[in-house]
Amino acid sequence: MYDKHILSDAGARSVWENGKKYGYQFNLTINYYRGLPLCCVDQITMIIDGEQVPYEQMYVQHRGREYPYLDILKDDFPTDFYWLFGEYLTVVVKNGKGIEQGIHHCKLTLGTRRSYTPTMVSVCEKDVTFA
Amino acid sequence: MKTNYDIKLGVSLYSYQDNYYFHRHDLEGCIAAAAGAGAEGIEVFSDAMIPEWPYVSDAWIDKWNGWMQRYDVEPVCLDHFSDRMMWHDKQLTDEEMFERGVMYIKLARRLGCKAIRVLHEEHIGPKAFVCKLTDYDIIARLLPIAAENDVMLALEVHTSDGVGAPYQQKYIELAEKTGIPYVGLQQDFSTFSYCLSTADIVTQVAESGANKEVLMAAREEQRKAYFGKYDFDEAATAALIEKLNPSDADRLALHSILPSLKMPAGFVERRPFHGASRKAADYEKLYKDLYDNASKLVYCHGKFYDIDENGQVDDMDYPTIFKTLIDGGYKGYIASEFEGNRRMNMAGWCDEIEYVRKHHKLMRSLLGRE
Repeated sequence: MYDKHILSDAGARSVWENGKKYGYQFNLTINYYRGLPLCCVDQITMIIDGEQVPYEQMYVQHRGREYPYLDILKDDFPTDFYWLFGEYLTVVVKNGKGIEQGIHHCKLTLGTRRSYTPTMVSVCEKDVTFA
Repeated sequence: MKTNYDIKLGVSLYSYQDNYYFHRHDLEGCIAAAAGAGAEGIEVFSDAMIPEWPYVSDAWIDKWNGWMQRYDVEPVCLDHFSDRMMWHDKQLTDEEMFERGVMYIKLARRLGCKAIRVLHEEHIGPKAFVCKLTDYDIIARLLPIAAENDVMLALEVHTSDGVGAPYQQKYIELAEKTGIPYVGLQQDFSTFSYCLSTADIVTQVAESGANKEVLMAAREEQRKAYFGKYDFDEAATAALIEKLNPSDADRLALHSILPSLKMPAGFVERRPFHGASRKAADYEKLYKDLYDNASKLVYCHGKFYDIDENGQVDDMDYPTIFKTLIDGGYKGYIASEFEGNRRMNMAGWCDEIEYVRKHHKLMRSLLGRE
């Protein structure tokens, strides 16, 4: 359905503070035909140039709020923060050093739970230019 | 454009999902597209296209009402979902599922929708196949809330045995038994699909490299059986396909309609196409059940995946479906629900606006309005 499109080219870049990179970010769109609450995200796994991004460095930004990735997987995460259809979900990786500017080979795996079909796992592999 | 017809035409905005997902049209653009196709009713998914869902402000409702006026359309249906599997190791309780049902009913009332499409337990068969959805007991509890809010609980039937199946009829009986006429059945036309859709063939050719000619040959046998009113001979068709030296991709693509075709090593069993084992007499019964229930139906989804060169839906017999609904006394909306997008969009851009336009033209002509 949208597997080829879940990792956006838009907005991929390092994130900075006081003239120094402290991490990087990329944007996802949902792999389903409607929106879902963030608690229905089952898995976001990103491999960049062959190396998996550590989950504990990942933060999810949505509508001005930021959540540690591992928190949205917990069984008490709220059910009313909706990641709507076509909307960007920003993943910020706080690795302390950013990402080298240029093209990186990315493999994103996104799993979401839905009400009446099995958990859908989508894989999108592509080159992304990080600013 | 508003009309006084007994059967009115609408569009489920789901039909424009790629336009929305890829930011070609926002919600207003989708409403404008539906109005431009000739629709007078709008169906919307709150969790796809209502940005403030689940806490929608009055200001947003005012904006929505403004669009309804500007485009001279009316809200018809809000789509309810039964998202019980909210967390990895924990699911919503029945009480929480009930509360979510109330949430959809109340939003429908505020939007001016007279119905919610309920994702009920039996919408794809006697039993949902992952978790329990909104079942009979929850619907019985929602019924008085629906009445208070003047919102119909429209239970969508996609199943191969249609609206006549006892496990669907029990909901009509619930309305009769309680004297609260706020639950009813909604027919999705996919029940009447009689052959592999060309939309699926487009996808298989693009994604797995299957041969169009081989897939079309199998589809042609299904069509001949349906229009010739004889039983589809699965074994003979599988034998015919074998003679065409099918590739592994062809075999995989045809499994859903030809289960006896030899599968490549490592094949994992899948759900069959629901019309695969249907016989000529089964279609007769389906249309009879549609006729018998037509006056009681509360909503219809004009499902389609592709439209052929003659302007007809490629895998459902729309002329017969429409005639049956009219003769059976159906009064209400038929909303276009284009689902070819998610089948064909892996093969490239799918022009949903053009598909819905053609679909409305077809529906108007079947209703004698063109």
